[in-house]
Amino acid sequence: MKEEQKKTLHEKYQRALQKGERFWPDSIYKDLVVSFGIFIVLILLAAFVGIPSEPKADPSDSAYVPKPEWYFLFLFKFLALYGQIPGIGKIEWIATALIPGLALLLLLVLPLVDRNPYRHYTRRTLALTVMGVFVVGIIALTMIAGVPTATDEIGRMTLSTWLQFLSGLILPGLAILLLLGLTLLARKWGAAARRAQVWIASAASVGMLGLGLVVMLTAPPAAVSEVEVADTIGEKFTLGADLYSIYCTECHGEDGKVTVITGVEGLEGRAINAINSTDIMYTLTDETLANIINYGQPDLGMTPFGRTYGGELGPSEIDYIVTFMRYSWDDRTELPSDAVLSSIPELLPGEVPSYEVHISALVKRYCISCHRPGKDNRNYLMTTYEEILGPSDDGPVIVAGDPNSLFLVLVNGQEQTAEDGTALRAMPTNKLLEQKYIDMLTLWVLNGMPNAAAEAQALSAPTPTPSP
Amino acid sequence: MWKKIWTKLFTWFDERLGLNDLYKATLDRPEPRGNWWNTLGSASLFLFVMQGLTGIFLTVYYTPSPDHAYDSIQYIMTGVQFGWLIRGIHHWGASLMVMVVFIHMLRVFATASYKYPRELTWLIGVGLLLLTLGMGFTGYLLPWNQKAYWATTVGTAIAGSVPWAGEFILKALRGGTDLNALTLSRFFSAHIWILPLLLTGLIGVHIFLIIKHGESAFPDKED
Repeated sequence: MKEEQKKTLHEKYQRALQKGERFWPDSIYKDLVVSFGIFIVLILLAAFVGIPSEPKADPSDSAYVPKPEWYFLFLFKFLALYGQIPGIGKIEWIATALIPGLALLLLLVLPLVDRNPYRHYTRRTLALTVMGVFVVGIIALTMIAGVPTATDEIGRMTLSTWLQFLSGLILPGLAILLLLGLTLLARKWGAAARRAQVWIASAASVGMLGLGLVVMLTAPPAAVSEVEVADTIGEKFTLGADLYSIYCTECHGEDGKVTVITGVEGLEGRAINAINSTDIMYTLTDETLANIINYGQPDLGMTPFGRTYGGELGPSEIDYIVTFMRYSWDDRTELPSDAVLSSIPELLPGEVPSYEVHISALVKRYCISCHRPGKDNRNYLMTTYEEILGPSDDGPVIVAGDPNSLFLVLVNGQEQTAEDGTALRAMPTNKLLEQKYIDMLTLWVLNGMPNAAAEAQALSAPTPTPSP
Repeated sequence: MWKKIWTKLFTWFDERLGLNDLYKATLDRPEPRGNWWNTLGSASLFLFVMQGLTGIFLTVYYTPSPDHAYDSIQYIMTGVQFGWLIRGIHHWGASLMVMVVFIHMLRVFATASYKYPRELTWLIGVGLLLLTLGMGFTGYLLPWNQKAYWATTVGTAIAGSVPWAGEFILKALRGGTDLNALTLSRFFSAHIWILPLLLTGLIGVHIFLIIKHGESAFPDKED
């Protein structure tokens, strides 16, 4: 900039100051109003939106789909799209280092690159349109970040991925190239070139946002992960109780007092410590208990349960089980009031049980421990309604209305022999169910195994209404 | 009588501290006619101060180790009086700060306020934007939950893909080949010491430059 220009600039600024205001109190008043508004927004967000709960970090859970903070989403999406480009897409560092690096450098040295001395927007068409396309591109990439890029069976990109490409890479890239190209023509074309730049930038922006919206709206809803997260001791206890009955009761029994394992393949008759004893509770810390569950004690017959060592549990789940044990059996602890043991609802006289309300709770407590994938259960799984209806290796297990269904026979404590000669033990193997639960299961089978609560309601005897 | 005491006291301090000069230099400045968009810089500063205050509170209870980070944050959320509010403000303040700083940059770009004589103010401003993003990146790991762990795994891997220096960057960030206790303590230290100190220093220079050159006037047709 020439000295003369600098001088006029300073003079003009002095005139602007004369006509202006004082920082104190005029400007600072506006600053305070805005800051106070932001403060209120912060309080509202913290109080009413809060922070979603997340499970503890689990380095063994490689299936977890990483999701960065929202202001980095555009970069994530850019990398994902770039990686789909044939050939050059394999050279990762171009997208991870070169392009962001150049963009950043350009932003840093902007005052040195932008030699245009003018400041009013009508005289800065190039700068404003290029920046506009950049910012809209970032917004479009952020919008479509939740939609995965995908290829079909034969490796072609899906329609959605094509649209994402168009919206997030091709349109902004093309627009910026055109904008720069038009600048070279500006000397010859003058105002017409500048108008063209505005048109290109606007059209590209509308296209990017429009396509982004289409991609967003047509995307299949993302699967909601069903990981339950506990924040308080009570919630941990509740989740831990369910996990305990699925993973631990097989050997340690419902209440942890088993000292000789019965009915478990390979561990029959093994003597173990009662894990609910004061000795255990007083001498083993939470950390030790968690380690035992995580690594197992293979020499004593306990397999590892931590996912890192081949089990099925993550760190949060192990933590919940430890909380359940501690607050159930350690007499120095007091159970918080918000802890609930998921209980099996009692039947009213004449009521028919449903899977939804009664049977699922019962099964979770007593059966799933063994009747889940990876256990010796003659392929009879019980984790869902459909699985319970069978069949297993021994053919149909439950027949609607048949009191002699294999299921009911075993639950009633009578052993059977399978066609291949295997002995089918009474269920549950360590201890039969309480009579009221056996009755509940029988009633359920006799009434045709209703799934939803409403179906069972329809089958139930009408509850006698007290006459006035 | 009170007025007399007050005047005496003020004069005593003014002679020794130069309060009046300070007032004239920082607060009683002429400015071009203001614009509501010009409040975003001070809003960023306000958010930085809020993040600092809530952050200091959080460090009282937070433990930067993989074994205890998650539990210490759960304790802040459920065990500490108003801990949820403080952490909520810190969490949302981070998002809001990134947004406000970015819009502030767009405003400066739109009014071309980065031109002579304010080139250095812009340069430092971009540095502040980057540091703010750095604060977001390092702070994201601290709760040591699934989201934090895996986002940082990917984020550091991206930094590690830089040609030639990538491996060094990756090791410097993670303190090993995988995310581990060292990563957490490095991110913690960066989040509460290194980056905030850099931010504070650069904010100081940024504000000094703004006072030195005055706020830029809104450009009119002749500019």
